[in-house]
Amino acid sequence: MGKDAVLRVEDLHKSYGKLKVLKGVSFEIRRGETKVIAGPSGVGKSTLLRCINLLTKPDKGRIWLEDVEITKPGININKIRQRIGFVFQEFNLFHHLKVIDNVMIGLTKVKKLPKDEAFRRAKEALLAVYITEDLWYKYPAQLSGGQKQRVAIARALAMDPVIILYDEPTSALDPQLVGEVLQVMKELAKKGVTSLVVTHEIGFALEVADELMFMYDGKIIERGPPKEVVFNPRHEITKKFFEKVGRLYGERR
Amino acid sequence: MTFWEEFLPALFKGVLTTLEMLAIAAPASVALGILLGTLRVYGGRVTSLIATAVVVTFRGFPLLVTLLLLFFGLADLRIYLTPFWAAVLGFILCSGSYQSEYVRGAIRSIDIGQSLAAKAIGMTKFQEVMYIILPQAIRRALPGISNEIIYMIKYSSLAFVVGVQEMFAVGKHFNSIYFRPIEIFLTLAAIYLIMTTTATIFFKWLEYKLRIPGIEMGV
Amino acid sequence: MPIVSPEFVNYVPYILKGALWTFSLTFGGLGLGFLIGVPIAVGQAYGGKIVKTLLDVYVWFFRGVPLIVLLFLFYWGVFPLVFGVKLSALLTSIIVLGLRSGAYQSQIFRGAIESIEEGQMLAARAIGMTKAQAIIHIILPQALRIAIPGWTNEYAILLKDSAICFTLGVLETLNRTRYVVIATGEALIPYIFAGIMFIIYTYGGTKLFNIIYEKVQIPGLIKSGGM
Repeated sequence: MGKDAVLRVEDLHKSYGKLKVLKGVSFEIRRGETKVIAGPSGVGKSTLLRCINLLTKPDKGRIWLEDVEITKPGININKIRQRIGFVFQEFNLFHHLKVIDNVMIGLTKVKKLPKDEAFRRAKEALLAVYITEDLWYKYPAQLSGGQKQRVAIARALAMDPVIILYDEPTSALDPQLVGEVLQVMKELAKKGVTSLVVTHEIGFALEVADELMFMYDGKIIERGPPKEVVFNPRHEITKKFFEKVGRLYGERR
Repeated sequence: MTFWEEFLPALFKGVLTTLEMLAIAAPASVALGILLGTLRVYGGRVTSLIATAVVVTFRGFPLLVTLLLLFFGLADLRIYLTPFWAAVLGFILCSGSYQSEYVRGAIRSIDIGQSLAAKAIGMTKFQEVMYIILPQAIRRALPGISNEIIYMIKYSSLAFVVGVQEMFAVGKHFNSIYFRPIEIFLTLAAIYLIMTTTATIFFKWLEYKLRIPGIEMGV
Repeated sequence: MPIVSPEFVNYVPYILKGALWTFSLTFGGLGLGFLIGVPIAVGQAYGGKIVKTLLDVYVWFFRGVPLIVLLFLFYWGVFPLVFGVKLSALLTSIIVLGLRSGAYQSQIFRGAIESIEEGQMLAARAIGMTKAQAIIHIILPQALRIAIPGWTNEYAILLKDSAICFTLGVLETLNRTRYVVIATGEALIPYIFAGIMFIIYTYGGTKLFNIIYEKVQIPGLIKSGGM
């Protein structure tokens, strides 16, 4: 495990019945880095993320979180998940809990922190994503999509994870709400929160990502600094995928 | 003494007995319903099988059969329940089984994202069910549960077959002596109507009190 | 005390014959309930204020009073004293079950009627049908199909409630079981047997209704309404 590496994924395979979704994925993320995975839909990007926090069990391959091999049998999965933040495409905020309770429940029930300490941390996390006090006592159903997703980020952030995984965080949002969520993600990335983001938002990758990994047919076929992968790719497939994007963001060599 | 001077005090005692039975059986049946519903969804092979067997049996048997079984049938096995407790236990098993179906349906109607999110912050299965799933499922099952409690109020009238001196038993007894069926049974009908109507209003209020925007209660 | 004696086996046919009464009560009540329930549902869905209120009272009364109270009220009171007729226990039971089931069924049908889109009624009126014609030819045929699952549930409920009619002396399954218990002195096996028979009767009937439900489905239209 390289020094300062927070996450290491080695040769991950996953099949659903006859369909092989991950065909040997490997990469590493160091502390403070932000990496983006992009690619056509259905190539297994979501599956990859869910394998990392073991919501899905990989068929083959190993994963390390800091120095712990989390794919080893007998490991306490729940303890591991406390250190990995996960932001879902469909937010998945707890419907029956107010915003503040959504963020606090992981701290009180899972981390077993005293209530006032949990409240303090929750406050911090919510303010970091620009959710102000007037929203704290509302229910998720009363919030806009962008607000919900920011609360979801706060919920993950409050657990003080070593890495946050974002699974297409803006795909379920109306276009005008995407910006506020990306803004928060960019700020967190710049602050040094280690992040792995699956997204179609190439602008985000170009702005803050340390590396862009292009995934196709279950494998990462190209990786490197975002500007290179997008505007100067080596493979034809990569070229084709980012063609349209290149036109959008202007060709830069 | 006139008929009413004799009937009403006895009837009052009967009403108290009915309420006594319900005060115990109603909450207990809700607890059993939640337990059985949860076990059927989350229990291991053996536990969920047992829970299913209980539900299928006590939903399938008419309440009368269950009552007679508990009072007379168990006596064959040297287990002697008093009329009161045979009746209460019968109500709990029967109503609890029906309620468990509503709970089970409600649990299964919760979208899987809630479970994933609970896991993602490191909750154990137990924590997930207790803090995230059940609070939502019980709210969704509340209309069905309320319905079953109201049925229980009415079916409590069957306790007389095992000898409980509740409302109906008193009415039946007085009818056999005085033969005034219209007065007696209309009075009983009125009292039951007051009880069921009050319960209906109470549960409507409870649903209102527990409502959370975003969790639909009509499933 | 023996738990089961070979004696009980002799009485099994006697108990099984009770099925005749059990099903008479069940289907009699179900049928009468249907004849009462549909008009009530139509009245509540389309009727004026007075009609609605009267029907609401009927439904409230017959759903709020326990079955056994209704049985005794009608058998000992209403029929002989108010109407001056002496009806058999079986007939009285069927009538009371029917009046009560009608109240419950009306709510099933009402839900089904209300779940049909407004457009159906509008289209019917647009081709010149009267309200009554629209209801009979367009709304009800769809509503009744939607209501079948709820109706099947009502069947299961009536089957179990039929046992309560033993209190009037009807020789249905449970009553016969009681006599066997008295005759043999054992209670456990006979009552378990009775319970199992009720489960079988329920299951059989439910399966039958499910088959009918499949058969009458309108191709391409999947709807669920009512209960």
